[in-house]
Amino acid sequence: MATLLFEIGCEELPAWACREAEVQLPGLCERELGRRPDELLLGPRRLALLVRDLPERSPDEWVKGPPEHMREQAAEGFARKQGVAVADLEVREGFFGVTRPGGPVAEALPGRLDAIVQGLTFSKSMVWEAGGLRFARPVRWRLAKLDAADIAGDGASYGHRFTHGRVEVPEAETYAEKLRAAGVEPDQAARRSAIVGGLDAIGGWSDPAAVLEEVVFLVESPVVLAGSFDERFLQLPRRVVETAMQSHQRYFPLEGARFAFVANGGDPETVVAGNEQVLEGRLEDASFTFERDVAKGIEVLAEEAGRITFVAGAGTFADKTARLVALAEALGGGEASLEAARLAKADQAAELVREFPDLEGHIGAEYARLAGFPEAVCAAIDEQYLPEFAGGPLPSTEPGRVLAAAEKVDNLTVAFALGQRPSGSRDPYGLRRAAIGLCRLALEGGLRIDLHQLVDLDQRLLLGGGVELEQDPGPVFDFVVERFEGLLDIPVEYVRAARHAWISDLAGRARLAEWLAALGEEIEPLHTAYTRASKIVGDVALDTPARDDLLTEPAELELQDTVGRAWPEIKGSLDALDFDDAFRAASKIPPVVDRFFDEVMVMAEDESIRENRLRLLTDVKATLGHFGDLAQIPR
Amino acid sequence: MSAPTYQETIAALQRYWADYGCVVMQPYHTEVAAGTMNPATFLRCLGPQPWKTAYVEPSIRPLDGRYGENPFRFQHYFQYQVVLKPAPENVLDVYFGSLEAIGIDLRKHDVRLVEDDWEQPTLGAWGLGWEVWCDGMEITQWTYFQQLGGLELDLVPAEMTYGLERLTMFLQGKRTAFDLEWAPGVTWGEVYRESERQWSIYNFEKAPIDVLTRRFGEHEEECKALVEERLPLPAYDQVLKCSHTFNLLDARGALSATERAAYIGRVRNLARSVAQLYVEMETNGDAAL
Repeated sequence: MATLLFEIGCEELPAWACREAEVQLPGLCERELGRRPDELLLGPRRLALLVRDLPERSPDEWVKGPPEHMREQAAEGFARKQGVAVADLEVREGFFGVTRPGGPVAEALPGRLDAIVQGLTFSKSMVWEAGGLRFARPVRWRLAKLDAADIAGDGASYGHRFTHGRVEVPEAETYAEKLRAAGVEPDQAARRSAIVGGLDAIGGWSDPAAVLEEVVFLVESPVVLAGSFDERFLQLPRRVVETAMQSHQRYFPLEGARFAFVANGGDPETVVAGNEQVLEGRLEDASFTFERDVAKGIEVLAEEAGRITFVAGAGTFADKTARLVALAEALGGGEASLEAARLAKADQAAELVREFPDLEGHIGAEYARLAGFPEAVCAAIDEQYLPEFAGGPLPSTEPGRVLAAAEKVDNLTVAFALGQRPSGSRDPYGLRRAAIGLCRLALEGGLRIDLHQLVDLDQRLLLGGGVELEQDPGPVFDFVVERFEGLLDIPVEYVRAARHAWISDLAGRARLAEWLAALGEEIEPLHTAYTRASKIVGDVALDTPARDDLLTEPAELELQDTVGRAWPEIKGSLDALDFDDAFRAASKIPPVVDRFFDEVMVMAEDESIRENRLRLLTDVKATLGHFGDLAQIPR
Repeated sequence: MSAPTYQETIAALQRYWADYGCVVMQPYHTEVAAGTMNPATFLRCLGPQPWKTAYVEPSIRPLDGRYGENPFRFQHYFQYQVVLKPAPENVLDVYFGSLEAIGIDLRKHDVRLVEDDWEQPTLGAWGLGWEVWCDGMEITQWTYFQQLGGLELDLVPAEMTYGLERLTMFLQGKRTAFDLEWAPGVTWGEVYRESERQWSIYNFEKAPIDVLTRRFGEHEEECKALVEERLPLPAYDQVLKCSHTFNLLDARGALSATERAAYIGRVRNLARSVAQLYVEMETNGDAAL
């Protein structure tokens, strides 16, 4: 038994490339060596694996040939192909075959290890020699040792880029120890805990943008250091300061005007001083921009933003703002919501947003605060883009929820109007996230959203702005309601059924779907009556109601009467989201439908009577159809 | 030891790369946004011929001007550009040698390569590489080119673009570029601050939109005609003029998002046709390059 070490020496790999290798290496190792690695040691300049207890000889291999009873026809050919005489063939379990003796594993390894390197794939890769290997960054050396024997490379690795050069690795098992002596911690878990330990020792650190996992792969010799910056930069919005620290510099904000960071070596005093200077430069630059914006003030910025094109074909931000205000009003928003809608897009003209695009909304909110607007208005501006991802937090304030919903309705309506609906995995405007956000604002945020009405309103406003579009809110509506399929913990058929229900409130539709799913077998009579009526009526669209003077049979008169009484009750109860009450009203219909089918011949010879009976059944379908397209529910 | 002046740092880089065997070129004669656009990089990196070069390039970016008020933003600053085609195996060591040559002690400072991929849509160009950090300051943009003008490359070049202001700010311990000592007793601000003010006024307020719009079309037509005439080098100058004219229109706020995309597409198409012609002529021997 022997220990194998294999190190792929690289120029500095991105963190994501190390993680992609981490996922693939165990499988590749198993495919090529028949064993999963015991250790993976991954860092910016090396991907290494250790396999312990690797057999020094590869096992004998049984090559199975033709069955024994085929001796005449096949044995000789098989023997020739295997390069042995027929007499040398062995028989096992009724088959001819030959035993291929295993060999020293060292002989096969170079090819196997090469196959591991070739087998790694990265989401973004490059070549450094035309037509050569593709990898995340150039591979500059390989080191493979089987115990003390060199399998690939010349028995050496390389230490810290600037403090240590070539490192002799006499044995596979001493790899990590030799590298540690050369200023490199090869084990990512050890680096991570050293970094966290260092940050904890300083105390009060935070990592809002989650850069820690990247930092682990940015250094081989982590040293955690702390620095400070001039307190006057604390006048900047805190998130601007944090973004300057984190997204540009991968620093960790500390309390007050301090920060921590992870160096890869160097003289601590020199390195801290340099990093302080860099951060202050960035903050100074941000301050210039901030002060220019603040000197203008949010009202002037709102005016300037008004002249900027929102989306070609959907007017300027002034047009967008007018739509948001109208939508916020239709959503029942109060004064704070309307004021927030009016100022929501002001920061699109802010220079600071151009520097920190991820902070749109937040920067506008800060400028509104500086201008003395009520906190409810500022918070709503801040929260308009929430949730940031499908499962992210929703706005915490009512005006924030109203504005966030208005923003999403308008983005969806505009995109669909301009023919930019998502297809397959292509969703450049994040419309699925917007639709999920709307569903969650309705479900969890308790917002009453009449989506048909809102989309219709938005389309009329767009039309007034000269956009040519088909005035059909249906596609946006369907796209949004479809999102419930993934959000609700019930079979999708119920969601699909409820999509067609006569309920204006978005959340109500979800509640109805859940109620239908919980109903179980009790739905049977309603379902049967609905599907029987649907089948006969088909897709023919007929005006209802049926004409009284053409109804002759008692059963059809009774049906006419029952449906006529039931439907306003059903509609009223559904509007109030009292599904049980609606169900009680609807339950009067199925027995009468049964009697009708028993006693009445729908396809009467007289055409006018026949058509009138179809009208009656259409009415049945429509009335029960208030609960949605019940035929979607499998029985 | 006192810190080197701005001009001494440039001289040290020139010396180092000349000693390495680079052809030391001079800045190009028309506006470019980056040293990459100089034909000594963009065109010479195409085709099968090896090439090593180094030069200072003024980077002209109208949109980045701040009237000389913000000491971190300029519409005109300097890059030091190095191209090694093909990239030798020890290319990073050679690069780090240049940092030592300008006085950076690599053991005393924290020098790191942080992933940064490069893309220039107007040139149909992209590559993978890093930004080089020295104590957190980005001092070099480092790229292995993968495509230029939409074409795969016969030899993979390494491009190293030093930001001369940031690099010397770091070396001199200065907080702003204006305070840099350009020559003994003369600051960067004294040399260029007024220029920043005047050019910002021109770029943002005075540049004539109608004339620029017309000129863009003229340069575009001339480029196409020169490609027809199989003269890729003059044709490429017209690409650069189109690109700069577009940048001015952009700074004037004359372009909507859709128009911007359309202009970028037009420049890219020109760059592509010139690159194709250049490679074709170099490969079949029509041009002695």
